Amino acid sequence: MTGYDVAIESLPMQAVIDLKGEAAALAGWCGDVLPQFPARPNSLTRASGRALLHIGPGHWLLCADLADEDSLIAALRPDAAPPQVSVVPVSDSLAHFAVTGPDAAEVMAVATPLDLHPTVFAEDAASFTEAFGLRALVRRHPGGFALSVDRSFAPMILQALSLSAG
Amino acid sequence: MLVLDCPFCGPRNESEFAYGGPALAPRPADPSAVSDADWVDWLTVPPNPMGEVEERWWHLRGCGAWLTVRRHTVTHAVTEVRLGR
Repeated sequence: MTGYDVAIESLPMQAVIDLKGEAAALAGWCGDVLPQFPARPNSLTRASGRALLHIGPGHWLLCADLADEDSLIAALRPDAAPPQVSVVPVSDSLAHFAVTGPDAAEVMAVATPLDLHPTVFAEDAASFTEAFGLRALVRRHPGGFALSVDRSFAPMILQALSLSAG
Repeated sequence: MLVLDCPFCGPRNESEFAYGGPALAPRPADPSAVSDADWVDWLTVPPNPMGEVEERWWHLRGCGAWLTVRRHTVTHAVTEVRLGR
């Protein structure tokens, strides 16, 4: 067995803000800080280097470069949010990995049962699913996929991805 | 392996979900007005017919929603999945 033609890379921390509530209430509180709300479940929109992921009923993740975190927190004011919405910075809770290369889909097929064919998992898709038995966020990444898991499982996921790549 | 058609995420493997027990009848409003036998029955005896049951499932590794699933105990055919109760 020669292994798959993939590159597995740990990605740097991102600014991640967990948003819960009705879309209208969040839009009212967050204003133009957010990209446009995604039209479909498990999809994302991007604007000004920020991505808004619709990951559950009444549940979104706002992702951006870590350098943007302070300005996001200052603009979203988590401590002052009204009871109708929840705004929680969770940047340090997730570890991010990129699986890229011609065989990226083969390795991801080992990792997760989620159907990642382009006809099902579109370019703007983003979904929590299972990866190596853990809850994991899967997105498309230039040349492959990005996988995010709870940070405490990062070494295990890195090892599992490496083993899967052969 | 069951495939549950989550109303938010679409069809997903059973391994993404956690079983949350039977979807029970509503809790008696006044337990003291219920006979001991009926109270114990409501508390401890899950429905187990040879046919359809309603169960609660948590999409633990997906969108995080609680679902109510109607499943046939013999064939495992899932005929309904809805958000909430």
